[in-house]
Amino acid sequence: MNILKTAILAFGLMLAPSAAMATPGATAPAAVAANAAAPADAVANAAAPVWPVTPPVAGIGQPVNGAIGIQPQVTKLGEEALWMHDIILMPVMVIISLLVLGLLFWIAARYRAKANPIASKTSHNTAIEVIWTLLPVLILVGIAIPSISLLAKQYKPAPKEAITLKATGNQWNWSYEYPDHGIEFTANMLPEKDEAAPGTAFRTDADGPRLLAADNRIILPVGVPIKLLTTASDVIHSWAMPAFWIKMDAVPGRTNETSFTIEKPGVYFGQCSELCGDKHAYMPIVVEAVSPARFAEWVKFKGGKMPGSEPVAAAVAPAAPAATGATAPVADNAAAPAANATNAATAATGN
Amino acid sequence: MTDIAATPSEFQAHGHDDHHHDADHKPGFFARWFMSTNHKDIGTLYLIFAIFAGIIGGAISGLMRAELAAPGIQYLHGWAELQGGDHLHLWNALITAHGLIMVFFMVMPAMIGGFGNWFVPIMIGAPDMAFPRMNNISFWLLVPAFTMLLGSAFVSGGSGSGSGTGWTVYAPLSTSGSPGPATDMAILSLHLAGASSILGAINFITTIFNMRAPGMTLHKMPLFVWSVLVTAFLLLLSLPVLAAAITMLLTDRNFGTAFFDAAGGGDPVLYQHLFWFFGHPEVYIMILPGFGIVSQIISTFSKKPVFGYLGMAYAMVAIGVVGFVVWAHHMFTTGMSVNTKMYFTAATMVIAVPTGIKIFSWIATMWGGSLSFKTPMMWSLGFIFMFTVGGVTGVLLANGGIDNYMHDTYYVVAHFHYVLSLGAVFSLFAGFYYWFPKMSGKMYNEFLGQLHFWTFFLGVNVLFFPMHFLGLQGMPRRYPDYPDAFAYWNHIASLGYVIMAVSMIFFFVNLIISLAAGRKAGDSPWGEGATTLEWTLSSPPPFHQFETLPKVD
Amino acid sequence: MAGAKNHDYHILPPSAWPLIGSFSALAMAAGGVMWMHGSHVAADQANGGGWIFLMGLAGVLFTFYSWWADVVKEAHAGDHTPVVSLHLRYGMILFIASEVMFFVGWFWAFFDFSLFPVALQVVDGQVENLTGQAGVVAQFPAKGLHVIDAFSLPLLNTLILLCSGTTITWAHHALIHGDRDGLKKGLWLTIILGLLFSGIQAYEYAHAPFAFKGLNYTSAFYMATGFHGFHVIIGTIFLIVCLVRTYKGHFTPRQHFGFEAAAWYWHFVDVVWLFLFIAIYVWGGWGAPVHG
Ligand code: HEA
Ligand code: HEA
Ligand code: CUA
Ligand SMILES: [Cu+2]
Repeated sequence: MNILKTAILAFGLMLAPSAAMATPGATAPAAVAANAAAPADAVANAAAPVWPVTPPVAGIGQPVNGAIGIQPQVTKLGEEALWMHDIILMPVMVIISLLVLGLLFWIAARYRAKANPIASKTSHNTAIEVIWTLLPVLILVGIAIPSISLLAKQYKPAPKEAITLKATGNQWNWSYEYPDHGIEFTANMLPEKDEAAPGTAFRTDADGPRLLAADNRIILPVGVPIKLLTTASDVIHSWAMPAFWIKMDAVPGRTNETSFTIEKPGVYFGQCSELCGDKHAYMPIVVEAVSPARFAEWVKFKGGKMPGSEPVAAAVAPAAPAATGATAPVADNAAAPAANATNAATAATGN
Repeated sequence: MTDIAATPSEFQAHGHDDHHHDADHKPGFFARWFMSTNHKDIGTLYLIFAIFAGIIGGAISGLMRAELAAPGIQYLHGWAELQGGDHLHLWNALITAHGLIMVFFMVMPAMIGGFGNWFVPIMIGAPDMAFPRMNNISFWLLVPAFTMLLGSAFVSGGSGSGSGTGWTVYAPLSTSGSPGPATDMAILSLHLAGASSILGAINFITTIFNMRAPGMTLHKMPLFVWSVLVTAFLLLLSLPVLAAAITMLLTDRNFGTAFFDAAGGGDPVLYQHLFWFFGHPEVYIMILPGFGIVSQIISTFSKKPVFGYLGMAYAMVAIGVVGFVVWAHHMFTTGMSVNTKMYFTAATMVIAVPTGIKIFSWIATMWGGSLSFKTPMMWSLGFIFMFTVGGVTGVLLANGGIDNYMHDTYYVVAHFHYVLSLGAVFSLFAGFYYWFPKMSGKMYNEFLGQLHFWTFFLGVNVLFFPMHFLGLQGMPRRYPDYPDAFAYWNHIASLGYVIMAVSMIFFFVNLIISLAAGRKAGDSPWGEGATTLEWTLSSPPPFHQFETLPKVD
Repeated sequence: MAGAKNHDYHILPPSAWPLIGSFSALAMAAGGVMWMHGSHVAADQANGGGWIFLMGLAGVLFTFYSWWADVVKEAHAGDHTPVVSLHLRYGMILFIASEVMFFVGWFWAFFDFSLFPVALQVVDGQVENLTGQAGVVAQFPAKGLHVIDAFSLPLLNTLILLCSGTTITWAHHALIHGDRDGLKKGLWLTIILGLLFSGIQAYEYAHAPFAFKGLNYTSAFYMATGFHGFHVIIGTIFLIVCLVRTYKGHFTPRQHFGFEAAAWYWHFVDVVWLFLFIAIYVWGGWGAPVHG
């Protein structure tokens, strides 16, 4: 039943925003209306301009209740790894397991004491022993070749023009740095409405699912290689993003590097994946992938500068909040951008 | 051998000790059970200990499954209130205790201490272990070790009671990240358990090399003895490295060293190397004796000798050797170089070959046999299939590029419960039913045994199979609370726990009624298929067996 | 059949030492934790942990003593038949193998730090981590750290241990040839050299140009050489026991496993030192400023 529910929900949500997201420049009057509809937050809204929150799409970039497979991949390497999993590894695993199971059933039927009262005394057969040694060797070589080549590709260093994103794991939030753009911020998990202290930000459905939504999203451009650096300030954390097939430990005292290129705009969720103490489950990772133009706007909005351009004043209001309009009908979502503004203004470092 | 000048009155062993050696003369209660030098009694102590630890470790996993049955925090607040700490810390303390108890205080004591002690000497035709007194300290060191671990649950480990580091005790969470004495207690518990196992390993190797009955060459030893021999070597060579690693934790925690403290140039990943250099051999330590047990049982109930005996023995040797050079497959996401990752990918996959030899040889042993499906045989068949399932997911994880996705998700949890809770535990139950008549002199109840098997089989599969799905959907490990999209399969898994728990009632009922009122077992209740030496003795065997050594041809 | 033991294995009567030893170990462990946490959680929380630890330690030492006293008695009683003394040999070799793996752990740490160095600087005993700063080079040991000159006291200690390796062999030969006087001399010399080594090591620690805390090099240095030193002390005690037993006339040219075990152990300690000397003192300190 749960699967059914999710499927319906996913279907409904899929209709509008995925199309809208692809056109980031479009004006969305509904968003204005939405803000107006939440007068309580108007002050906060005025104090700090708000970057609109794009709601996620169910089934993409996040788990689906009752599902049994790997999350859809939005990077080339992720797709390749997924292919390797689905086309090579799964069949091999299933066939070997079923082979063993089949043999067991066959033996149980054929050689049960009633069917075969006199046991043979065979205890050697060199030919078959060689076969069942060599056959697995061949299978493993067959696995190893694509596996090694996948590894080699995963390790191809990011090209020069890649955008650097530095993630630092802290107990228990993530701080991010865009050294090329001069942007820094910290991302905390958004608590549920009934758990948040009065006046502080809480999660709405536009932010994302419970435990996955963060007050500050990592905004990244699609189609541009991203160089990810990870480190930590206290204990080991791990920056994991299933939809990108990325998981990189954040280790104090060292900086790890990996890279990826997001192919599809959207909102993607991950979670800290190394036991890091009490709130290990409460330090989500949210990436919102947008068009490069939109990304440039965000950089400006955040007071950073695009590499090679002049610094821009921070106070520029967002030109045209995109896409949010598509979700405006959901009442809860309407309050979201404003609530987050409060948080952005107050969120400093701590938890 | 008294004075250098004296006439050597050496080697007079037969002269003076007759009064101890009446084969059935047992010491009084206290001397027998607390000061034992008898391998069978010590084996019994180990088994009782393991069952006790299994109940505690299993009960803790029940708390965990209750909490995970639905998203949100269900019970932790209440439990933490009882215990007086933070509810999230309590979660970490629970999983840490569960992992450590199951590994160090349930599986290892049962397999090596319990069955190894009971049957290795008998199977090689020896009267006892090589160092009977040391054998006893191997057991008794476990009691303080377990006491320390259980005690750690009641002292501060940071924001709550108990050590919340995970069974892997990764630094710096286990050093600067875990103030309070709980983690020190857990570490010292591992020191004690490690010392116990090293002494045990020395004892087994010496026994197997030196005390085989006339004619019992290495190539005639039952496969269970081979498995314990290889296991003992793994213990001997891997545990001291763990001891060094956790000693570093201790000095970093208490005396200001900087082994894992990045500020002083220390390296947190160093700890992981040291841990897994031990930890990977450790997982084979937990499964090899199971391989041995299953080999004996399959042969017995097929009424056929083991197929490809030498291949079976040397496959275990190969698993042991290769097991020492694959450790970093647990560390694929720590940021190692591409070449290192390729090496560990390839080396890890190699282990599937000798393991495959074992699986296929078991099947070939049954092929052409005359099979009876008594309870021990059912557990062994279940073992073969379930271990294969756990093994092939291990091969998937071995691919460094793929493991990026699965690492630290429930996929890994599914993998290792398939090889442990469905692999090692199945072989434990197999061995327990197989040797129960020999150890106790009573037959177990076959109906309850079958019932236990089938319900347990169903329960643990419902419990652990959905964890693959959760892992593939991205659910991280060691989470007390999870996004709602993981609710469905977690709920199913917790239902599986209930089935499994009911099945354990059948086990304990069977155990109690069989001990109290079981039918008397003959010397060799499994008939002609059982060819190893324990079946030549009475059930239970005399207090001292083989006063005259058997001859093997 | 009953009562007739027709084999040469040693079937032992029940013994209390394992139980006593284990619970003494528990007292040591529990007391140790209380001790460590009594003092630095809060200074006023002295909780007697130190005393519990020491009582546990005493129990463990008492167990060692009584247990081995029993072994010696059994040896005298003739229980150590050829096969049983072969057991003892296996046991000792395997124990040493496990000790080797223990040191592998400490060397591993040392080589991790030295082969993958970090940019560190020591100023007035304070460690600064310079990682990420422009222009700094990672080096090991840390910049500004003065090391112990490998070719002064450590070299002397190397010679002392090598020497002691020959004197113990001398003693062994003397024993085999029934020359009790040579045995005593060789043992005395070995013990004196062992004590000398420990004394020099203690002096070296006391005058070391660096402290114990806070730095990768010093952690690896002190823990590796410290555990080695601890093993030297154990080995020396083992030799002293052998010397006492020699005076009591315990060893014969044919049966003297206690002595042999001590000699093996001593050689093991010796070899570990050679590795320590070459890896940590000579190679590890190469190029670093030397303490005057
Ligand atoms: C009994 C314990 C046990 C056993 C036997 C194994 C066996 C194997 N394990 Fe597992 N493993 C664990 C216990 C065990 N493991 C534990 C406890 C962890 C997690 C620790 C933690 O993080 O807490 C772990 C984690 C773990 C990881 C790290 C995952 C991660 O954290 O990201 C990896 C990666 O390589 C791995 C691989 C393997 C492999 C390749 C085998 C192989 O030995 C399996 C070989 C068997 C087969 C392959 C099946 C039979 C073979 C055939 C039928 C022949 C034909 C087959 C082929 C050609 C493929 N294991
Ligand atoms: C041998 C090892 C072993 C065994 C048997 C089990 C058994 C079980 N485990 Fe697991 N588990 C681990 C080893 C084991 N486990 C480890 C190492 C971890 C990782 C910890 C970490 O992250 O640090 C873990 C983690 C772990 C998690 C993940 C926690 C998290 O990441 O947040 C979960 C969640 O459901 C779980 C559940 C269970 C359940 C329900 C069982 C049930 O199957 C339990 C049922 C009970 C039994 C099957 C035991 C019965 C046995 C006896 C009574 C003794 C019999 C003795 C004789 C016959 C002599 N375990
Ligand atoms: Cu941060 Cu787990
Ligand atoms: Cu492993």
